[in-house]
Amino acid sequence: MDDALQLVASSRRWRWSLRLLHSISGAAWLLALLCLVFSLVTPDFLSGANLRNVLLQGTILLLLALPMTLIILTEGLDLSMGALLSLCTVVLAVVQIATGSILLGFSAALLAALVMGAANGALIAAFDLPPFVVTLGTLGAAQGLALVAAEGRTTMGVAQGLRWFWEGSLLGVAAPLWMAALVWVAIHMLLYHTRFGGRVFALGGNREALRFAGISVKWSLLWVYMLGGACVGLAALLMTARINGGHPTAAIGLEFDAIAAVAVGGTAFERGKGGLSGTVLGVLVVGVMRNGLNLLSMPSSVQVAAVGVVVIAALWVDAARGRS
Amino acid sequence: MAAIRWITISFSTLSGDPLTNEATPLLELRGITKHFPGVLALDGVSLALRGGEVHMLIGENGAGKSTLMKVLCGAYTADAGQILADGKPVQVRTAADARVLGVAVIFQEYSLVPHLSIAQNIYLGREPLNKLGLIDHARMRRDARAMLDRLGLDLDTRREMQGLGVAQQQMVEIAKALSQNARVLVLDEPTAALSERETHKLFEVIAGLKKQGVAMAYISHRMEEVFRLGDRVTVLRDGKHVATLRAGDATPDELVTMMVGRKVDMSYHRGDRPAPGACLLDVQDISAANSIRHVSLKVHAGEIVGLSGLVGSGRTEVARAIFGADALTSGRIRFDGQELRGSPTHARDLGMGLIPESRKQQGLALLRTVCDNLLLAGLGRLFPSRIYQPGKAHEEGRRRIQQLRIVTPGTRTATQSLSGGNQQKVVIGKWLVAGTRLFIFDEPTRGIDVGSKEEIFHLIDDLVHQGAAVLMISSELGEVVRVCDRAYVMKDRCVAGELLHDQLSEANLLRLAMHHG
Repeated sequence: MDDALQLVASSRRWRWSLRLLHSISGAAWLLALLCLVFSLVTPDFLSGANLRNVLLQGTILLLLALPMTLIILTEGLDLSMGALLSLCTVVLAVVQIATGSILLGFSAALLAALVMGAANGALIAAFDLPPFVVTLGTLGAAQGLALVAAEGRTTMGVAQGLRWFWEGSLLGVAAPLWMAALVWVAIHMLLYHTRFGGRVFALGGNREALRFAGISVKWSLLWVYMLGGACVGLAALLMTARINGGHPTAAIGLEFDAIAAVAVGGTAFERGKGGLSGTVLGVLVVGVMRNGLNLLSMPSSVQVAAVGVVVIAALWVDAARGRS
Repeated sequence: MAAIRWITISFSTLSGDPLTNEATPLLELRGITKHFPGVLALDGVSLALRGGEVHMLIGENGAGKSTLMKVLCGAYTADAGQILADGKPVQVRTAADARVLGVAVIFQEYSLVPHLSIAQNIYLGREPLNKLGLIDHARMRRDARAMLDRLGLDLDTRREMQGLGVAQQQMVEIAKALSQNARVLVLDEPTAALSERETHKLFEVIAGLKKQGVAMAYISHRMEEVFRLGDRVTVLRDGKHVATLRAGDATPDELVTMMVGRKVDMSYHRGDRPAPGACLLDVQDISAANSIRHVSLKVHAGEIVGLSGLVGSGRTEVARAIFGADALTSGRIRFDGQELRGSPTHARDLGMGLIPESRKQQGLALLRTVCDNLLLAGLGRLFPSRIYQPGKAHEEGRRRIQQLRIVTPGTRTATQSLSGGNQQKVVIGKWLVAGTRLFIFDEPTRGIDVGSKEEIFHLIDDLVHQGAAVLMISSELGEVVRVCDRAYVMKDRCVAGELLHDQLSEANLLRLAMHHG
C-alpha cells in the first residue's frame, strides 16, 4: 500500500501537475476564487451579458494599469492618472463640441495627457524628486484644471459618432477590446522586445548598470512617464464615449484600482520585479471584485475597501509562496 | 597551495617579450589628481597601459586603486591630469566616453539587473536588433551562450540574474565586459568571489586576451596573482604613485614594504594599560551562511583587540554575527559566561554595543537632538519606571556631553549639524548610557578628520581603563598597530592569524592579510 502511494507520488505526471499548481500566481488563484464565490451568491454573475460587461469595464483600467506596471517596475508611481483621465474627458468633450471634429478633440486630449506625463517625468528625472510627491502634486493640478475647464459640470452634447468607440464593434469584437488588445500588444513588444524594455527593468533593478552602459537614466525615466500620459489619452477616448461627454471627476480614484491591479499581478515595488501578464490578471481580479459587489448592490465605499483587502491578500500569498 | 596548478597556463607563447614592449600605450593616465571632501584620494598618479600586458595595481585599502580605475572608466572625473589614448589627449567624462575608447570594466560591485535574463544583462544597452528594430532574442542568446562557454559557465542564458550565486554573478559580469571586445580591460579584484575552478578559467581567458593585444589593468590583493599574471606592477600608497616595476624585478617582501608605511599624525600615544581582566567575549568556531567560516576569537576586559584584514575579508560580517545581526550556522558565542541567543536585543541587554561603520545610517537618528541620540539605547536603564522624565534625560545628556567632550551648542542641537568626530562620540556615548562593557568598533575613524581621530583613540583608551573591552575593526594598518594590544587578521572570511603585541607591525598585518610568508 505504502509502495503504491510512493509510486503515485513520484510519478512524473504527478510531480508535473504539482509544479503547475505552484507556478500559478496568487492572482490567478484569487481570480478563480472570486469567480466561484460570486457565481454562487449571485446568479447573474455568470451570464454572458455580465461577463461581457466585466471585460468592457476592464479595458479602461487595463489602459492605465499597463503603463503603471512599467512605472512601478522603475520603482516609481503615478498617482495622477485618474485625475488626468478626468481632465482629458473634459478636454476631449469641450474641443469636440467647439470644433465638431472627434479627431481634433481626441488629439487635444492626447496632447494634454502627454504634456502632463512629460511634466511628471521631467520633475522626477531632472530634479530627482520622489514620484509619490510629484504625481500627488500633478493629481491636484489636473483635478483643479478639470473642474475649472468643465465649470464643475458634465460637458454634454458630444457627437454621436463618438459612442462607437464604446458601443461599436469590429469583426464581432467590441471596439474597447480592440483598443485594449492593441495597447497590450504594443506595450508587450516595447517591454520585452525593444532596448527600451531592458532599460525599464534596469531603472528599478540597478540604475548604476544603466549608467555604465552609457544610457541616460533621466531620459529613460521621462519616456516611461510619457508613455503613461499617452495611455491615459487613449483611455480618455473610451471614457468619453462611455459616459457620452466629459466629466471632471469621471475617473476619480481610478489610479487606486490601477495600482491595485499591478500589485495583485505580482509586480513588486522594488528592484524591477514583475511583468505584464500578471497585470492583466490583476485587472481581471479588480474588475470581477467591483462587478460582483455591484451585483450585490454594495456601495462604492465598500468596493474600495474590498479592493484594498484583495491587494493585501494577494501580496501576502505571493510573499508566503516566495518564502516557501 | 593548490593554486600552483595555475602555473600550467603558458604565457611564453606571447608574440614578443612584453617586458621590452615600450610601444605607445593604448591608454595612459598622467598626473591624475582627485579630491573628495577632506581627502586627497589621488595625488598626481600616472599609469600607462600597453597592449598585450597585464598591469597589476596593488596597495593597501584606501591607497587609491579603485579611485584611479573609476577615473579611467568615466565614473569619476579627475580634478587635474590628462588621459591619453594612443598618445592623443582625450576627455573621459562619462561611462559612454570610456566605452567609445574601448575601455571595459569588470566591477567588484555588480552592475547587474536582478530581474533581467543573463543574456539581457550581458548585452544591456547593446542588444542585437533585427530588421524591424526589435531585439533579436535568438541571436542575443546565441552570442551570450558563446561568451559563457568561453568562461566554462554552464548556465541557461534565459535565467534571471536574481537567484544566481555571487561567483556566478561575477562570471556574468566578466562575460559582459568580454563581450564588449574591449582594447583596454579593467579588472577590479575579479577573483575575490570566485572558486578555484572559475579562477583558473578566468586566467586562461586573460592569457588569450594578452595574445590578442588587449591591455589590462588588474587590481589585486593576492600576491600569487601579482606574480602569476602581472607583466608590470604599480604600487600606490596614500593616493600617491610609489613605483612601477616589472613583475620579475621585485620580491613579495619588497612589494609589501612599498605598500606599508602610511604617514599619520601621531599626537596619540598609548599609555600603560591595566593588565587584561577576565575573558569577556569568547567566540568559538562560528560560521554564518555565505559570509564567515570557523572564526574563533577572545576579548578580555581592559583590552583593545584589533580585527584587521583587507576590504571584503569578512571583518564586518564577524561583527554582525557577534552582535546577532546575522544568524550563525555553527559555533557559539559566550559573553561573560553567558551564551548569546543571536539577537541584537539580547546582545545589548548583556552589555555589548556596536559602533557601525556607516554611523549616519546605522548609528544615529541625525535629525533628532544630541540628547535624544545619547539616550537612545539606554532609555530602559535610565527610566526603570518606563516613564520618560525630561529633566533627568537632560541632566544625563549634559553629563555625557561633558564626559566625552562633545563639541555641541547644547543638548537640543540636531545631531546632523555636528562634525564627524563629534557624531562618533555621540554614538559612543549612546552605548555608555546603555551600560555597555564590550564595544565593537567598525572603522571608528572613517570620514573623521585627523585631529578628531586622535581624540577618538584617547576615548577608546579611556573606555578600557574603566574596565570595558574593545574589539576594533580597522582598515588602517597604522591605526591597528598604534591602538591595539593584539590583533586578529582576516583573509577569505577566515581568521588567517593572530598577532600579539610584540609582533604587531604593519608589515606583519599585511603579510597575513595577503597570505604569504
